[in-house]
Amino acid sequence: MDLVTVKGLSKRYGGIVALSEATFSARAGEVHALLGENGAGKSTFIQILSGAVRHDGGSILVDGQDYRPANPDAAQARGIAAVFQELSLIPDLSVEQNIWFRHEPRTFLRTVNRTEMRRKTLALLDKYNFPSLRPEQELRRLTLAERQIVEIAKGLAKDPRILILDEATSALPAREAEWLLKLTRQLAAEGRLVIFISHRMAEVRAIADRLTIFRNGSTIAVHEANAVSDNEIVTQMIGRHLDRLYPERIATATDRIALSVKGFSSGSRLSGVDFALREGEVLGVGGLQGHGQRELFQSLFGASKASGTVELWGKPVSIGNPRQALTGKDGIALVPEDRRGQGLLLTKSVRENLTLSVIKRFTENGLLSRQKEAALVKEMVDFLRIKAGTPEQLAGTLSGGNQQKVIFGKMLLTQARVLLLYDPTRGVDVGTKGEIFQLMRDLAAKGYAILFHSSDMPELVHVADRVLVMRNGGIAATLEGDRISEASILRAAMLESEAA
Amino acid sequence: MSAFLARNRLIVLAYAGMMVLLLVTALFSPGFLSVSNMRSTVVLAAFVGIVALGQTFVIIGGGIDLSVPWVLNSAAIVMALLCGGQDLPLVWVMPLLLAGGAFIGLINGVGVAQFGVPPIIMTLATNVILQGLILVLTGGSPTPSAPALIQFLSVGRFSGFPVIALIWLALTLVATLLLSKAAFGRHLYALGTSATVAEFSGVPTARTTILTYVISGLTAAFAGMLLTGYSGQAYLGMGDAYLFTSIAAVAIGGASILGGSGHYLGTVAGAMVLTILTGLLPALNLSSGALLIVYGAVILLTVSIGSETFAGLGGRLRRKEG
Repeated sequence: MDLVTVKGLSKRYGGIVALSEATFSARAGEVHALLGENGAGKSTFIQILSGAVRHDGGSILVDGQDYRPANPDAAQARGIAAVFQELSLIPDLSVEQNIWFRHEPRTFLRTVNRTEMRRKTLALLDKYNFPSLRPEQELRRLTLAERQIVEIAKGLAKDPRILILDEATSALPAREAEWLLKLTRQLAAEGRLVIFISHRMAEVRAIADRLTIFRNGSTIAVHEANAVSDNEIVTQMIGRHLDRLYPERIATATDRIALSVKGFSSGSRLSGVDFALREGEVLGVGGLQGHGQRELFQSLFGASKASGTVELWGKPVSIGNPRQALTGKDGIALVPEDRRGQGLLLTKSVRENLTLSVIKRFTENGLLSRQKEAALVKEMVDFLRIKAGTPEQLAGTLSGGNQQKVIFGKMLLTQARVLLLYDPTRGVDVGTKGEIFQLMRDLAAKGYAILFHSSDMPELVHVADRVLVMRNGGIAATLEGDRISEASILRAAMLESEAA
Repeated sequence: MSAFLARNRLIVLAYAGMMVLLLVTALFSPGFLSVSNMRSTVVLAAFVGIVALGQTFVIIGGGIDLSVPWVLNSAAIVMALLCGGQDLPLVWVMPLLLAGGAFIGLINGVGVAQFGVPPIIMTLATNVILQGLILVLTGGSPTPSAPALIQFLSVGRFSGFPVIALIWLALTLVATLLLSKAAFGRHLYALGTSATVAEFSGVPTARTTILTYVISGLTAAFAGMLLTGYSGQAYLGMGDAYLFTSIAAVAIGGASILGGSGHYLGTVAGAMVLTILTGLLPALNLSSGALLIVYGAVILLTVSIGSETFAGLGGRLRRKEG
């Protein structure tokens, strides 16, 4: 018998239909992938399952019993836990305090039993082979990837029969993502149901037994994973045929050096990085996470400190803060790692976000010209095909892909022609991913120079002209042409760190 | 126009609240809507409004200025001492004290923006230090009376209108231009919404933060001099009431106390609401203790209805479809 059966599920937000007559069923002991573009209704569906949101119509049966949780606690009482993309952790608490938050083991005096909590944490981490987490670490010292792993531990701590993983691998580097895929198989083998949401087709392929495809709030198809092709899945997700995800790679690099970096160092994080980025080139930056990629991008943009020589278009520059980085036609712009925390003012409009870095461009005699601003906004909304009701829509209400487009628009308006893109496709739907890759090639053809980091290795292989592989804060290898492959990147990234 | 109303619904709400309050007050005390009474209400509201101008900028930027009471009080007392009841010294005393207020704001701003001192601690400290300096300076003795010119600015009339109301109107225009029509305003809202995003977008976050405290120092010092004209002399503690009222006016005016939203036009309504309330409550024949309790409760209620913090904007964002 199915563990979960959903029939005719509907949910409206005002005039917007989020789910309409959606169906779903899944068995204990399977990994069930849920696929769909951003806006297809996946998030609403799992919010309803996890008790965060209540449905308007339809029925959900769990174990044959009616299921309508009033809140996440009620959902957990029925054995359902979810790990969301947006983290719910408290920065000031330790790893273990976060994992057991509100469910701490108690002594007979009702105080927290720290010994027991430590024992249970270590047992949990050990049972599922968690990578490199220490129970006493303070959360704020962890990277985004490590926090995502804590979030997963927190979900598992509730010993759920149904675990929902929403884009859980998107923040993880290759090795940790692989661990998570193994973990989902282990959980299924224990007789649990794992509902798995991911935009990465290869992952879904690797672990899912079955998959359900959502589009526009309804269920389009259910497949046995081994009986359907990638192309069919993508076509059903987007409702039309997508030619190809990766654009053709036409070499547009010239001999002109746009960005030259020599002896770039910052404490133990960056040590003597040297490279040159040419006009018209997409230069990939790969390697295992935590080997200096973040520090390299942030330091080049002036958001953290580093020493060394940096030249933009042949002129030596000293960039102390992002404002200096963005100034002028010879500037350098960053699409940052954390879209919601560093990239967007979520409670402000698309218009205000787009023009935030270029207010001077529509200021006359000290006063803003709304007309000129509207022209700039329209230019970017059209160019990037940003889907917003009006430019006054709040940025936080856009889908992930459109939010990312707004950040691109903000940076393109600055007229800086050296672009630093840090994992620009993270949590972005497959249709928009294709658009972003095409945009990168188009910009390169126009003479932009692009430094591109991705946590999804195939992206580097298929989009970049050359790939720098980072290891221990330095450049371990530079791969070109046919030598760029996932295997060669991994080899360069791991050789020495494995030995050490 | 409807888009304007939707975007600024909290400000509209503040004005609607002000009208309702006016009508209710008129019911309890029929003489309240008379020209002379309205005139004195606006004069009283102007003092709150001018102090709250700087406070509005600071709060939109994500900070708070607790030093206004003694910046105001210091300017009042030093002005009275330096002028000794004469008009002429005002020519240099007023610019000097405005600069002094700006300087205190500069210290607050640099402490917050450059040294990372939390705004509450930074401004509370300058407030106490100023209080100490003034006590040392005066030894607690009363000051000479206010110069006639400053009395004209605060209680005089210009073709029927209170002069201070005209000053308030001019300041409202300047504040509106800064918030809605200048790059500074855009930077300020971005800063208050998310300092990190603002920094990553090239906003001069430190300069913008410092400027808000400088403006607040300026308006508090200016209000202190005007208030001396209104009461005829400067005295210790005359600024104390303005800490609460300046912050409450901003909150009633629809700004989020966490920063990033609000407008001075809302604060103007907030200042009026607070002043009308103090006119309404005595008409209810309550004891002074009960009066304070009602005053506090009404403000709490108004702010809770209007404030973004309670309206659950965060909740609306979390329900984002995807």
